Order: sequence, then C-alpha cells, then structure tokens
Amino acid sequence: MIRNTRTKRVSIASALIAAGAMVLSTVPAQATETTGVTATTIKLGISSPKTGSAGLVYGKVPGAMKAYFDYINANGGVNGRKISLVSYDDKYVPTLAATQTTKLVLDDKVFALVGALGTATHSKAYTAAALAKNNVPDLFVNTGFSGFANKAKYPTTFTILPSYAMEAKIMAKFIKDNPALAPQASFLIAQDDEFGIDGVGGFKTAGHTFAAAPTLYPQGALTAALAEGALTSLSAVPGKPVLVLFGTTDSTATILKAAEKLSLTNKFTFIAGSVGGDANTLLALGVKSTTVDGIIAASFFPDAKDATDAYVKQFMAINMSYNKGVTFDNTVLQGMNSAMLTVQALRAAGKNLTRSGVIKAIESKGSTFASAGLAPLNYSATSRVGYNGYWFGQLNAKGELKPFGGKVSLYTTDSTSGAVTASTYVRKTIPKNGIPNN
Amino acid sequence: MKNTFVKKGLVGLVSTALVAAFAVTTPSVAQAADLTCTTSSTKVETCKGTDGDGAKFEIRVPANFNGTLYVYAHGIRYNVNLPAIPVVAPAGSVINYAPEVAPTELVATALLKQGYALAGSGVRAQGWSLEEGTDAFLQVLQAAKDRYPKVSKVVAWGNSLGGLTAQAFAEQYSGAVDAVLPMCIADSAQAEITMAGDFLWGMKTFFNPAIKGTGYSAGMTGYLEMLGDLGTVLTTLQALQAAITANPTQPVWPATSTVPATLKAIPVRSAILLLGLVSGISTQSKTYDSSSGPAGALETTFGVAISPALAVLENGAEAAALAVLANYDMELRAGGVVYDNSKTNFAARLGDDSEAFAAALSGVTATTGMVGYLQLVAPKVTANPVAVAKLNSMYQLQGKIAVPTITLAAASDHITPGGAVTHLVNQYNAAISSGAATSGKLLNIWNKPAETYSTFAATGAGVTPATTPNGVGHCNYTTSQVLAVAKLAATAAKTGKLPSTATAKAAIKNEKNLFIDPNFMPPLLKFRQ
Repeated sequence: MIRNTRTKRVSIASALIAAGAMVLSTVPAQATETTGVTATTIKLGISSPKTGSAGLVYGKVPGAMKAYFDYINANGGVNGRKISLVSYDDKYVPTLAATQTTKLVLDDKVFALVGALGTATHSKAYTAAALAKNNVPDLFVNTGFSGFANKAKYPTTFTILPSYAMEAKIMAKFIKDNPALAPQASFLIAQDDEFGIDGVGGFKTAGHTFAAAPTLYPQGALTAALAEGALTSLSAVPGKPVLVLFGTTDSTATILKAAEKLSLTNKFTFIAGSVGGDANTLLALGVKSTTVDGIIAASFFPDAKDATDAYVKQFMAINMSYNKGVTFDNTVLQGMNSAMLTVQALRAAGKNLTRSGVIKAIESKGSTFASAGLAPLNYSATSRVGYNGYWFGQLNAKGELKPFGGKVSLYTTDSTSGAVTASTYVRKTIPKNGIPNN
Repeated sequence: MKNTFVKKGLVGLVSTALVAAFAVTTPSVAQAADLTCTTSSTKVETCKGTDGDGAKFEIRVPANFNGTLYVYAHGIRYNVNLPAIPVVAPAGSVINYAPEVAPTELVATALLKQGYALAGSGVRAQGWSLEEGTDAFLQVLQAAKDRYPKVSKVVAWGNSLGGLTAQAFAEQYSGAVDAVLPMCIADSAQAEITMAGDFLWGMKTFFNPAIKGTGYSAGMTGYLEMLGDLGTVLTTLQALQAAITANPTQPVWPATSTVPATLKAIPVRSAILLLGLVSGISTQSKTYDSSSGPAGALETTFGVAISPALAVLENGAEAAALAVLANYDMELRAGGVVYDNSKTNFAARLGDDSEAFAAALSGVTATTGMVGYLQLVAPKVTANPVAVAKLNSMYQLQGKIAVPTITLAAASDHITPGGAVTHLVNQYNAAISSGAATSGKLLNIWNKPAETYSTFAATGAGVTPATTPNGVGHCNYTTSQVLAVAKLAATAAKTGKLPSTATAKAAIKNEKNLFIDPNFMPPLLKFRQ
C-alpha cells in the first residue's frame, strides 16, 4: 500500500518542517515519598470485605483498626501526627478490590495501605493500583499466600499471617506428634486455589501422606451436596479419621453442617485451618455449638475471650471506648494488632516520614515490634512474612479456643523445607497502656 | 488530478511551514478551486473536497477562527458491505467513506464555537487502512493550510485506528503538527488481530468448530464464508448467553462443543472467562462490572465468579465479530492468513490472572485442564509469513515523539485496551534512550468506570443500560471529557510544551472518571507480553 509519492512526501515535509520543533517541556511529576503525610496527619487506607460472606468474618477489621488509631491519636498520635484511616468495602471481590485500592492511591492519596485481605483480591489490587511503581507501603496484609513473600514482585508488601505452607507443615507435625491422631487415616478438603495449593504443598513438604487425594473445590463453590458427598464417601473409613479443612470459615461451616445432617459429627476429628476456624463465625453461620465443641484449630494469637491475656485485656478496653457497640472477638483482636504494628512501623520510620523509610524500618526493626501474637514476627531485609508459627487448641461449646493438652505449645517453621520445631518464644510485654514506645 | 494535487499540496504545506518558521506572510491559493465551500447560519465555513487519492474530506472553520486546527482521523470502518446482522450491523451497512472532523458532532460544535477549525478525511479505503489514513491525513492538512493561511497550529487527533493514524502521522511527518491527541489508540494490526483472533479461535476450539475464523477463500466464496462465520459466531454466543441465564452458577456447554466430557464438567462460564483472560479481553463490560451481584445469596458469588465471565461474553461478542471482519480484511490486504497462535504459551498468557480469578475459573484443577487442552490438544493456526511480513510493513510506532502528545485511554476498553498506550510509552522511552526523542513530551490521561455500575432486575438478571457506562466500552468518552483533553492539546500546541501534571489534573478535575498517574501502566496486549 505504500505508494511512490510517500518517500518523497516524508522527506520534504520532514526536512522543512522539523526545525524549531524541539521545545523543552515539563516532565510529569512522580508520586512523592511523602504523599498522604502532612505536618500533623498521616492518611492510611484499607480495602477489605465489610459486607458479603467474607464481610461476615472480617468485617470488623477496619473498625478495629480505626478504633486503635483513634486511641493513639487521643494519646498524641505518632510523632505529633494524627492517623486517619480511609476504608472501602471490596466485598472480597478481586475487581472491586482493585478499584477500591486504586481509588485509595489516586483519589485519596493515602500514604500507605494497611490490613488488606485476601489472596485473589490483593494480588489483583496490587498490580492495578501500581503499588510497586508508586512505592506505596502495603502493610500487614491478611493472607498466607506465599507468593506475596516474593520481594521482587511485591517490593512494598508485608504480610502478617504465617504462610499457608507453614501452617500445613505445622499441622502435619501436630498430627504426627499426637498419639490419638497419628494412627488414624487423614483426609484433606481444601480450596482449589493458591490458598489450598500452598497447603497441599506444605503437607507434602512435611512428608504427610493423606489416605486419599485431596478433595478440592473452587472458592465459594463448596455446596452442601458436595460436602455431604465427600463426608458420605469417608464415613466408611474405619476408626475416627482426621479431616483437615483448609478453606474459609463459610466452607468449614458447610462441611460441619453436612456432618450434622448426616449424623457424622462424631465420626471425624476435624482440624480447621486458621482461616476457617473462627468459632464466632461458625456459630453465626448456624453450626451447632455441640459440633463446634471439640474442633481442633490453629492460631498464632491468644484467644480473644481470654481476658487474662495482657494484650487482649488492653485491646478490649480500647474497643470498649473507641469501637462502641462492637463485640470484641478474634477479628477485632486481629485488626487492633495490625494497627499496633502499623503505629510501631510509623514510629520506627522517624519524624521525617517517607514511604521508603517505613519499608526499611519494618525490614530492620519489624521483628522486634510488640505484638499480641504468640509466635515471633519474621520481618527482615529478606523476609516479608510476619508470624511464622502456630499453636493448636480445641474449641469449646462457647467458641473459646483452649490449648490442646492444657498449655500453649508453639511450633515454628518456614515456607520451604525447614524443619518444624517446638518454640520457646516469649512475646514482648505490651507497652504501657498499649501505646508503642519503640 | 492526483499528481497535481499532491504537488500543490506539498507546496502549500511547505509554504505554510516556512511562514510559521520565518514569520513571513506568504499567501497560498493552492487547491482552493477544488473545494466546495458553504457558510452556515452559525458563521462556520464548511469546505468539502476530494483528495488526490479520491478520498473525500471536509474542513470547517468558524468566523472567529483562532488559528488552531484539529485534524481528525476516524476509527476503523467495515471494508465490506454487510446485510442486516445483529450486533454487527443491525440495519445492514455499506462501506462508509464519509469524512469525519471530530469524534462526535457535539464535540465538533463545541470546538467550532470556541474558535477552533476542524478537518478530517473519509479515507479512500476502509478496514485496517493505516497507510491510506496517514496519506489522507496529510492531504486534508495540506488542503486546510492552503485554504486558510491563518492556520498557525495543528493538533492531530483520532479515535482507535484513527488514534494510531494520528500518532503514526506525527512520527512520520515530524513537525507537520504541533500536538497529538491519540484517543483509545489502537496497537499494531498484528497486536490487535492477535487479541481478537485469540478469542475467536478460542470460541471455535471450545464451543463451535464450525467457525472458520481464518483462511477465507478468495472472491465471493470468501465473502460468503465470512458472512457465514459472523452468523455462526453470533448463534454460538447466544447459546452461551442462554446457558448462563438458565443456570448462572453451573451453565452447560453449547451442544456444538466437541471438547471432552472432563472439560464439559467445568461450568462453561469459566471457559468463557479463560478465553477472555488469555486474549486480553476486558472483564468489565457495558452491563457487568465484575464486582456487583444481585442482592441475596448470590451477591458475592456473582461478583466474584459470574460477572467477569458475563462481561467477557458481552465484550467478546464484539471482539469475535470484529475478528471475523478484521481477519477477512487483513487476509485480503496481505494475501494470506495473518493470525497465528502456533507458538502461543497459554499458561503464560493467563499469568497472574489465574490467582486473581481463581474462583471464577473454577479452581486450579479446572484451569489447568482448560489451559492444557488449548495448549496440547487443540489444533493451532499458523500464519502465512509473507502475509505477516506485508501486514507488518505498515508503519509501526517508533515512539519518536517530537511534539507534545497527550493520550486518552481506558484500561477496560475491550477493543483497544489501554495496553496500547503502554506500548507507546515503552517505544517512547526506548526512543529517548537512543536519542531519537526527547523526554517530557508524553502525558497519559486515563478513564476508568465507577467502582460499581451494574444493576439487576428482581429476577437477578443484569440490566443492560441504554448507554454504555463511562469508563468501559470502546472509545467511550463524554463530550465534556473529550473537550477537556482537546483543550489541553490545543494549549500544548500553542506553547510547544506539555502541561504540567498539576495543570493537567486541574484541567480534568471536573471529570470524575479521568485520572493521571505516571505510574499507571495497563498490561501490554498479549501479543507483546
């Protein structure tokens, strides 16, 4: 299609017209290191589920974080700056999470993101909002997906949960070391995504062999019929098989209600992963308290109903004053703990607060932050994963998680081939009045 | 006629440039006799003419002309006559050669009122007419400068293929324009046909092997094959739509599908979504925002797992139809098959979307099965290398940006995704590195939809709005948005400088869906990944 006249046109037009075209112009400004920070304020943002099925479990997180920040603000703020938290509901929907996170970065111009939740949601949001290019600190993300530990891909992200691989390895060790569980056939029902696959990989790494291939289901697609079918097929297994549930709490509830319907609640020893073992949610979703009673669950926190725990006691008091009308539970504890870590990270970054400064502060000092967690924090220049351990307990009919065997036995490990070891870690004493002084 | 016009035109353009460069007033009268001009009651002179290649063009100049001329390049048009076909041409269509001077008449009227002159060509050939488009662009620009010596600044702009044409023209005719405004810019022919062609091939592979898709015969036989394909594609899409309507969570595969039973056990919505993700078709459409669901038990599930698939289906209807028409057009132009997926790595194409859309894809096991089928089982298409070479002999953007250039694009555009701008940015950065361009000449303005915009009937079905929500759809900008950005371009043409980011943000502050973030870069089209 190029005609003979074309070359001529180009040469003549170019030669005679180009002169004088070179004009200096401005370069678009890049996002600054101090976006969202003024002399008196620090603006943070969170996109998380407040409504929908995931909102039922995690909907209290933003309110709990805000309550803690309000408490800190009432006590002088961070280096003289008051913290504000902009919160949006992403309903646990990836595209909406991407939209809301983009809005936080572009429209609200937050300094950092805190407490985002979910693997699918946050992986999409991270890219869509260009968090890496904008160097937006992405703090204490509530997911155990090991992919977020990839610093090259997620250079500004710090997760808070132990990885799902860690959890599976520790769970395998727990089963192996428990004389009542080890001889029994064990089975796994898991979410068929990065969450479940991480878990499957962790069990494999730990050398744990299930009696059958895992039953995998897409997130949100575990129907009562599927659960009943799975349980029915396992009901003929002799003894009291161990059934590991590696999914979200609504899926755990579906399986437990199926067991109720089939009168199989006593047939199995249920072990719920940390993501799917929230007793309050199970009860709210209609699981009978008698079914909840005895379920084994993993945690790295103290039980939220344990008012003798110093952190729990302090957070309960803050909740009473700054989060009025909201019942204190594991989710509130989780939110306040993340907020406390955030305050320490901001303090550690110093008065001349920058995005890079916060990231460096967590890398260098994050493992020393005070925290309600009973497992150590694992942050360093090379590690972006927060807690690295779990203890196991049994839920009672009230939904309280009581240590298995009467005392908390913590195991720690890594996401790869490292051994699972019993830990003697003792967490830092809570700062006076719960106000960080690092 | 043709040679004379070209010669006169070049003289006129050169003369005008010299006038601009040396501030010497030299009247030009070339070409005036070839124009037919009328003046409206609003005191706008409209001149119509035919260029040396036979393309009709139009120039509109208001009485209060301020010296700045916008030359517009229109988007792709069908290169064949079509009978009435739903979605594609509901009332039938004949090849359209009419000139366009602006994206819409509303925009044209507003700019004329502000004292700007407008010009545009109908272009002598349709379809992927990049070469003909740049030729036509030059000639209408020449004609306008000849007729109106007062033209002192020129903004080149265009929509879709026209955006690419405007940018290609500016790169090839350095200095002929003072600013460029490519809107919803298209990527190269090969990049675009790969996107649409991937989706079409996927439809054939998964849902209906009767779709031909590529390798259309010569002459009337090929034309009829193309028409037949359009019909087959549309009936297949209707079958998919009906399946999802009947059972949103577990829709069945169409009867025409020949995939193994193991794949048919996967909800067909997941297969639709997979095709959209590996092709790069947007997961947000006119009706479905990939976020909302009908109130009730399905609300979250719908947003997570069903809405993205329905959005791809809605967008894919246009993409697949376009793929048929574009493949037909490009094969005619290039002399053979130009679509090729013989070396496509489908797992790589899916990339991180396998995580983000894990639930909608029905889990890792299902995803692995579907990708494996595409990669290992399905017959692939190998292009004719000579035809591809001919296709690629058309101008490819170099990023040689010499004048202020402002892009307007939406990441969710399902025909020309925002990744085309990312490619331009990459080319520009490479050109800067090699010394072929100077920095600070490119500003990108983005359009996004509202957080949620889907609405649902009491039955739970999505309600398709009368007009496409802003931020989704192809080249879907409001008049106000276009005018705001056009004004920035005109100012840049006058000053020779891009507006600062602060100035640009202030200029679009009332356009709530527009934003500027130098770090926002949508993924490249899959062809370039």
